[in-house]
Amino acid sequence: MASKIGVYFDLQNIGGGLDVEALAEQAKAKWGDLTPVVKCVPVLCDAEKEILADIEANGLDGVLLCGASPRDMADVLRLPVLTEHVNLREQCVLAYKNPDGSPLGNGDAPELLKIMARDYVNMGVVKLQKSEMPDSAAVEGVKRILVIGGGWTGLTAAMEASATGYEVVLVEKADVLGGAANNIPTGSPLKAPWEDKEPTNVKAKIDAVTADPQITVHMSSRMAKLEGQPGEFTATIATPSGEVTVAVGAVVLAAGWAPLDPKYLAGMGLGKSPKIVHAAEFGKMLVAGKVDARRIAFVLDTTLAEEALKSEAPAEPEAGGEAAKAQVEEGEEKAFIKENLESIKHLRYSNTVNSVGMLRLANIVCEKTNDATQAFILYKDMMIPGILERFYKKMQDRLGIMMTKADVTAIDDRGDRIVVSCANTLLGMDFDLDVDMVVVPTGIVPVTAKDVTVEFAYRQGPDFPDLGLFDGFADSNYICFPYETRRTGVYAAGCVRQPLTMDACEEDARGAVLKAVQCIEAADHGVAVHPRSGDRSYPVFNFVRCTQCKRCTEECPFGALDDDEKGTPKPNPARCRRCGTCFGACPERVISFANYNIDQIGSMIREVEVPKDFKKEGPRILILACENDAYPALDMAGMRRKAWNPYCRIIPVRCLGSVNAIWVSDAMSKGFDGVLLLGCKYGDDYQCHFVKGSEICNRRKENIAETLNRLGVQPERVEQMEVAIDEYDKVPDMIDDFVARITDMGPNPFKGM
Amino acid sequence: MAQYNLEPDSGFTKELMEAGGESLKKCFQCATCSVACPLAPENNPYPRKEMVWASWGVKDKLMTDVDIWLCHNCGNCADLCPRGARPADVMGAARNMVYKKLTSPSIVGQWMSKASGLPILFLIPAVLWLVVWWIRAGFNGGEWFPRAADGRIVFGQIFYGDYTIDPIFMLTFFGAVGILAVGVRRLWKSFEPGKVLIVGKTKSWFWHLFDVLMEEIVTHNKFDECYGGPKTPVETPSRRAGHMVLVYAFVILAFVTAVVALGHWGGKVIPLIKIETPMPLTFPVKILANLGALMLVVGLGLLTWRRMRLNPKYQASSFQDWYLLGVIWVVAITGILAQCFRLADAIVPAFVIYYLHLVFVWMLFAYLPWSKLGHLVYRTAALLYVRMYGRP
Repeated sequence: MASKIGVYFDLQNIGGGLDVEALAEQAKAKWGDLTPVVKCVPVLCDAEKEILADIEANGLDGVLLCGASPRDMADVLRLPVLTEHVNLREQCVLAYKNPDGSPLGNGDAPELLKIMARDYVNMGVVKLQKSEMPDSAAVEGVKRILVIGGGWTGLTAAMEASATGYEVVLVEKADVLGGAANNIPTGSPLKAPWEDKEPTNVKAKIDAVTADPQITVHMSSRMAKLEGQPGEFTATIATPSGEVTVAVGAVVLAAGWAPLDPKYLAGMGLGKSPKIVHAAEFGKMLVAGKVDARRIAFVLDTTLAEEALKSEAPAEPEAGGEAAKAQVEEGEEKAFIKENLESIKHLRYSNTVNSVGMLRLANIVCEKTNDATQAFILYKDMMIPGILERFYKKMQDRLGIMMTKADVTAIDDRGDRIVVSCANTLLGMDFDLDVDMVVVPTGIVPVTAKDVTVEFAYRQGPDFPDLGLFDGFADSNYICFPYETRRTGVYAAGCVRQPLTMDACEEDARGAVLKAVQCIEAADHGVAVHPRSGDRSYPVFNFVRCTQCKRCTEECPFGALDDDEKGTPKPNPARCRRCGTCFGACPERVISFANYNIDQIGSMIREVEVPKDFKKEGPRILILACENDAYPALDMAGMRRKAWNPYCRIIPVRCLGSVNAIWVSDAMSKGFDGVLLLGCKYGDDYQCHFVKGSEICNRRKENIAETLNRLGVQPERVEQMEVAIDEYDKVPDMIDDFVARITDMGPNPFKGM
Repeated sequence: MAQYNLEPDSGFTKELMEAGGESLKKCFQCATCSVACPLAPENNPYPRKEMVWASWGVKDKLMTDVDIWLCHNCGNCADLCPRGARPADVMGAARNMVYKKLTSPSIVGQWMSKASGLPILFLIPAVLWLVVWWIRAGFNGGEWFPRAADGRIVFGQIFYGDYTIDPIFMLTFFGAVGILAVGVRRLWKSFEPGKVLIVGKTKSWFWHLFDVLMEEIVTHNKFDECYGGPKTPVETPSRRAGHMVLVYAFVILAFVTAVVALGHWGGKVIPLIKIETPMPLTFPVKILANLGALMLVVGLGLLTWRRMRLNPKYQASSFQDWYLLGVIWVVAITGILAQCFRLADAIVPAFVIYYLHLVFVWMLFAYLPWSKLGHLVYRTAALLYVRMYGRP
């Protein structure tokens, strides 16, 4: 609780004709002893020494900086006390427009702008007053990384982690290391100039790992259990000689992949003729020297397989799915049933890897026979990732390799030859091609599609959530943070995450190891990892009032909360990403962060001056804006002078998932006429930083609507909208439209009560 | 499914690459070339499709493709190709393949396709004319460098027109014409007229041929259209002027040859038109002949200079390109030098050079159907064909 707050106005960043001195006077008069220092400084960035001196002299325990957006100012001043910002520039002065649309004069600020600025300053003071300096939830970060999977990616990860000075425990389910790479002695390029196939030297990698004293390898082993939290996980590994328990700080999941069941490729003839094989199989034959075909068709177009599957019994899998679902619902927490997520979709997802792989295989065959072999590559989409374009160019030069886009309409084994029929080709005609052998793509099915790989001892179950959303891949929607999963401290890399070429797998392994290292260090420092990196706050539970309703443990997007038999939540701060979804869920409001809590936001809402005369002085609208996307969008709109209605008051929230229904009640009883919730896009293609926040908020809104209905307030007064970070051009209109609807609705019936 | 049975042949692709299309595999079918080409029709344009046929070694498609003859090789496509696949050169290589394979004896085509065939190509006429020289020397009392009764140097004393030069060259010329005729018939048939739909008014082939000759040869307007394509970052020198001068030089020289032949043989019947060789320098036919020779050198100079300025990154020169330029060069030089030595009364060099002149002229004509000069006939035929079957 800040009890001595210094308020500083940054003159260079506050324009619009606002009388800053008067604003300062008002604050001083209103808050009295709470704000012993209220100053206007010409340039805030230069005032660090002055502020530090004030802190020293007056014993300040909070500083309120009024001026530019906190996004602009966050790290400019580093002060030893609680610091908050009041966004008087982007979201007040620059975003101001007269409600009737009349042009702004050049003189003094209009009355409405003055009121708005005053509100924001007061809200800032209250926010600080209700904040505390977070203490730390640091754990002893174990400097050991668990790598699940000893294939190409896992081996790379182990070597990288060890080279970084971390101990490694590597778990491999087979009795040899190397995985799928054992069948690829010569792979696609791994380094500059990215032009030619390369020996993978997987043996050397295996030897390096086995010889490394920092790396412990468990062969023929599986994960039995992972419990605890980042920095201090306990991994139980089922080895041939019994269970082994080891403490680890973070996990790299590199469980790899398995080829798609041949039945899915029956439409292309796989399994019907020994002369039709899939790419991985062909690679093995090539290594064994069993390929003597001179005309080989590499068919990348998988339409035949897809069509065949479509025409075959479409009803069957649906029924199975329904049954499984029903079972899960019945048993709910008791029975976890792993759903098999393998499907024909994996074939399409694997197109990039197959494009590169088939070029590589075709090149090897042609080279071995001095171009006496003709390799026909028939593709629907030739997808070559990134720099491997150079490899593609080089392969294209090969005399024996011939490529065309084609719809492969039939693959027919005629005994002495296979006839591949092609339509819509680049050769300007449909044709039949006589070949000795056909190579079809290999579908890459992540191990996570069929198996539970990590066996989390978490309240939310042993497996990753959202696997269904990514067809079994341990992937996430974090496009900028590819290795993130929804289990903090567990980072996916390689083909278990996405079908990848070998060079990309190596890069993935390095990336995931870096994340694991970062995670261990963050746990060690007691700060959040991602996306609120460095945040020291964490949820604190007031268990006295907890009713064990389990909403928080169920709704936490990251499974951070376990519970005991009675249902009392057991927080794991190092798993927590500090979104506040738990306290948004809590009906008893027993969860809070030191610097972000229910009472704090509620007090800010109550601090806004709401005029009684709706007609004369206008409505008041509360906007709770997600600080990850919506808030920056508003900042950008302000910077570009795209103003919005001045009757709005904006409060940033960590995530819409943290919005508690009580805030809406607070706003309504205070007399606000509408509440707008600005959050991220949700659904399958969510943009929410915390995955589920905006979706959960939308669900809760229905309950809020019911409550409002009971109170006799139109539920339309509360609305949630989805804003992307780049939609600054749309967001002012969205706000204005909402205000217009509220204005038509008339005043909140509770106003002035 | 009974449809076209594709027979890809990487061996054919290899031959094409050796014939000047070495970069053809680089093509990734973006079709920038087809858009860049100012001559390609909107429907079924070239050279994108030729590039993929070349890459797949689809011999029957490429060899019977009329479009390879429509390309005038301005190099726009090569300048703009993002992969450096040099489509213009590939089109040229495809034409070289037709020269090589269209007519028999195809062994000549093989000799003509690379530098290693050059010695034998040279030796055949060299021996032929040496035998003639030897026989005729016998007639001159064993004198290999005889003078005429009046002391002048008269090449006819050794290479006597009536019995040596004329019959040999007539045989050679008409033989080449015959072979070209066979070639044109084959080419014409291979264009498959049955598949082309003719829309609009048609006119007689004769008038179409007249148009072709006017636009392509008499005025060389198509060359401008070719070089008038979209501007490219690469400066490609035009071949119009050089080509035009060279063509007119050939026309003049052909005319002079015809006049002399007519004068010589006709003179045996009508003494009034008799022309004696060597003609005096002031004789109008001789003036025209020397003008033709001069134009030949000028045209050659322009074309050679142009070819040397080409950026090999965008356009390179195949053996066929250099062969044709080279053979015409040596024909022109030996012709002029023979006359100079004759007038300077240097008898030994005069006869040796004249002998070489005959060798080279024979090479030019005898190998014409398998050389790049075959385009004279094949391209004209293709141009006539497309006009007759609906393309402007």
